[in-house]
Amino acid sequence: MTVVPSTRIYEGTRIPPRVPTILDVDPSKHDPGDILRVNFGPNHPSTHGVLRLIVDLDGEAIAGIEAVIGYLHTGFEKTMEQKSWWKSVTYPARIDYLGFHANELEYVLAIEKLLGIDVPRRATWARMALAELNRIHSHLVWLGTAALELGAISMFWYAFDDRDAVLDLFELAGGTRLHTRYVQAGGLAEDLPPGFTDEVRKFCAAMPKSVDEYETILDKQKIWLERTKGIGLLSADDALALGQSGPVLRASGVDWDLRKNMPYLAYDEVDFDVPVYANGDVYDRYKVHMDEMRESVRIVLQCCDRLDEMEGEPWIADDRKVVLPPRHELHTSMESLIYHFKIVTEGYRVPEGEVYVVIESPRGEAGCYLVSDGGARPWRVKFRAPSFAALQATATVVQGALVADMVAVAASLDFIMGDTDR
Amino acid sequence: MAERRPQLALKRELPLVSDRPLARAGLQSERVLWPERGPGVFEREVAEIEDALLLTTIDKAVAWARSGSVWPDTFGLACCAIEMMSIVSSRYDIARFGMERFSSSPRQADLLIVSGRVTHKMAPAIRQVYDQMLEPKWVIAMGACASSGGMFNNYTILQGVDKILPVDIHVPGCPPRPEALIEGIVRLHEKIRAGVPPAYEIRGVAE
Amino acid sequence: MTYEAVPGVVETREAFGETTLVVDPARLVEACTHLRDEEGFNLLSDIAAADYLGWGEQGVAGYIGTAAGRDLHEPGSQGLAHVPAPKPKRFSVSYHLLRVGDVPARVRVQVWLDDGEAVATLVPVWPAADWFEREAWDMVGVRFEGHPNLVRILMPDDWEGHPLRKDYPLGGEPVRFSGED
Repeated sequence: MTVVPSTRIYEGTRIPPRVPTILDVDPSKHDPGDILRVNFGPNHPSTHGVLRLIVDLDGEAIAGIEAVIGYLHTGFEKTMEQKSWWKSVTYPARIDYLGFHANELEYVLAIEKLLGIDVPRRATWARMALAELNRIHSHLVWLGTAALELGAISMFWYAFDDRDAVLDLFELAGGTRLHTRYVQAGGLAEDLPPGFTDEVRKFCAAMPKSVDEYETILDKQKIWLERTKGIGLLSADDALALGQSGPVLRASGVDWDLRKNMPYLAYDEVDFDVPVYANGDVYDRYKVHMDEMRESVRIVLQCCDRLDEMEGEPWIADDRKVVLPPRHELHTSMESLIYHFKIVTEGYRVPEGEVYVVIESPRGEAGCYLVSDGGARPWRVKFRAPSFAALQATATVVQGALVADMVAVAASLDFIMGDTDR
Repeated sequence: MAERRPQLALKRELPLVSDRPLARAGLQSERVLWPERGPGVFEREVAEIEDALLLTTIDKAVAWARSGSVWPDTFGLACCAIEMMSIVSSRYDIARFGMERFSSSPRQADLLIVSGRVTHKMAPAIRQVYDQMLEPKWVIAMGACASSGGMFNNYTILQGVDKILPVDIHVPGCPPRPEALIEGIVRLHEKIRAGVPPAYEIRGVAE
Repeated sequence: MTYEAVPGVVETREAFGETTLVVDPARLVEACTHLRDEEGFNLLSDIAAADYLGWGEQGVAGYIGTAAGRDLHEPGSQGLAHVPAPKPKRFSVSYHLLRVGDVPARVRVQVWLDDGEAVATLVPVWPAADWFEREAWDMVGVRFEGHPNLVRILMPDDWEGHPLRKDYPLGGEPVRFSGED
C-alpha cells in the first residue's frame, strides 16, 4: 500500500483545532462584522438529501461551517432489535439507499459469521456480481446528481438512462428495482433467473463506452475543470485522521481498498485494479468514481463467466435450522415441516457473540457491529456509515472555498443522508 | 408513419361505471370504480363534493390549465427521492406532463411530493415549506413511509405526513416504481380536471 | 497478533477471527495512543455503544418464556440449554480500529461502564471520534469527558432520554385498521 506524501497536497493539518467538525471563523482573517450566517437546508436545491449546513460567509468566501444532521434519523438500530433475524434483513437496505445491496450484504455477512454457516460459492459469486452492479448504480447516480448541481445538467439524463439499465438487471434477479432484499443468511433468497448472465453481459458491453462518453463530456470541459480542480483539498494524513475511506481516501493518494487489502466474498479470485489519484481535490474524486465504474464492469464480467460454470449448483446453504427447506419436501418429510414451522414462527437463533464485519460499499468502509445473545432477535446492531464519517470532513475540506464551491465539495464527499442518520 | 394521438386522461374510452358527476368528469377513484363498497371517510367527502360540483366552462378551462403544468418542489427525503429523480429521467419522462421543472423554491412550486420518511426533527421544516407554497397547492405522499410511517413504527418517524399536511394522493410502495408514481400524478391531474378542490379545502390533518 | 505491550488491557478475547482488547476506562487514552503510534492503527472505524440491561433475562428461547416462567435448564425445553454469561457492567463502548498499511489489521478496544460513569474522549487521538462519540452520547447516554461539543446529533436538540437504551420504549403508534372505529 503506497501513500503519496501528504505535503504534495498541503502542509500540516487543516482539521479545525477546537472541534474537528466545526470550522470557526478566524478573527485574524475575517472581520467578525463582515460575517453573514446563512442556513443551507434541510430542504435545499442540491439533491443530496436533508443535510443542514450553517455557513458563515465573508462575502463569497466561506469563513465558517457546521453540519447539522439527524433530519432522517429513522431508528433502524432500535427497530431491528425488535424484529427476528429473518425480518430484520429488509431494514438495512434502506440505510444507504443507493448502495442497498452493500448494506444488506454487510448485515447478512455478519449474521453468517456468527452462525458459522457455509455459503455455497454460487451465492458468493452472485452476491459479488450484484455488489459490483450496485457500485456502478451508485456511481452513476452520484455522477448524474453531482454534475447536475455543478451545472452540467445533461449528464443527469445520460447517467440515469444507464442507471435504469442496471436497475433492470436488479429487477431481473431480485424482482424489484431498489431494495431487492435478495441476500439472506445462507445465500441468496432465490436462484438467479436463466439468462441473467447474458443480460449482464449485454449491459457490460455497452457500459465502458458510456463511461468514455461521460469523460468526453466532462474531462476537458473548461467550466468543469475550473469548478473541480484544486477545490476541496484533503491530504492523506487528514483523511486517515478523519476516518475517511472509499473514493475520498483513494483520491487523496492512499492506495486502500478493502476488496484488495482485506478481501471478503471472492474478491481475491478476481482481477481488477484500484484507481488512486494524488491531488485530493474534487476532480480526483470524480476520476476515482469513473475508473471504479470501469473496474466494476471488469469484475462483473469475470463473475458472469464463473456463474455460468456453476449453473445448477445450490444458491443457499443446506442448513435447515436457518434456511427454509424447499417447499416440495414439506409434503414428504416430517423434519422439514418442523424446521419450517420453527423458522417461520420463532425464527432461527444465532449463537451468542459479537462481530464487526466491514465491506467496501460504494461510499467506502461500511460495517455492521452485531451483538447476539443467542436468541431469535438481534441484541444490538450498529451500522458503521461511511457517509457519517465523510460528513465529518466538511469543515476540513471546505477551507478556502467560495460558497459556490461548497456544493461541489459536498457532492464530492458522496454522502447519503439515510446512511448518515440511520 | 402512423399518426399517434396523445391520450388524455379525460378522453379515455373506458365504460362509465356510474353516472355520478365525478365519474362523468373522468375521475378513476375507488369510490367510482367500486360503487358497491360501503361509504368510508373518503366516500363521504366525495359525495359532498359531487353534490356541490357545478363546473362552468371557465372552471374547466382553468382546471385544465392548472393540471397541465403542475411544478413539483424538490423535496426528496430518502429512498423514494431516488425513484422520484428517476421519473425525471428519459425512460419515465415526466416532461410529457409538463412537470419537469422542479423548483427548489417552494414559492414557485405547485406540488409537494413528500418522498421518504419524515422524522419528528424534519416535520417543522416540511410544514414551513408547505406553508410557503402559494395556493393552489397539492401534496402527494409518496411511498409507504410518507403515507403511514411505512415499516418504521418508532420514536422518531412521523406515522404518515398527513399528520401535519393535508394530502391529496397517497402512492403506495417501498419505494413505488416510477410508473406507480406517475399513476399517482395522473390521478392527481384527473382530480384537478374533475374539479376536486385541493386537500386543504376539504380536510384538515389526520388524528 | 499479540497486544501485550498495550497499556491498560484487562482482558484479551479472540472470537470469530476478531481480537477484542478490554481496557480499563481510566487508561483508555494511553492504550489508544499506543495503538495509534506504536502499532500503527491509524484509522478509527467506528465507536459502538451498547446497553446490556436485561442481558440473559429473556432466555435463549426468544420470546417464548422468560427466566421466571420457564426453566431453561430443564431437559427438553426449547432452545439451547444455555443462558449467556452476565456482562461485567451495563454499557460497553467498543472502538473499532483499522490499520491502513502494509499489514492490514483490525482490533476492537472495549471499555465497560455503569450508568453515570464517563470515559475520556478520543478526539485528541483520532479527530474522527467527534461525531461517533456524540452519537453514543445521544443514543445511549454515555458521557465522554473532555469532548469539545457533546450535544445531541441525531435527535432534536430538546429531546429527552436516550433512545437506544433498553429501558427506552420503541415508541410509535398502535396500528389502526380501516373498518374498525
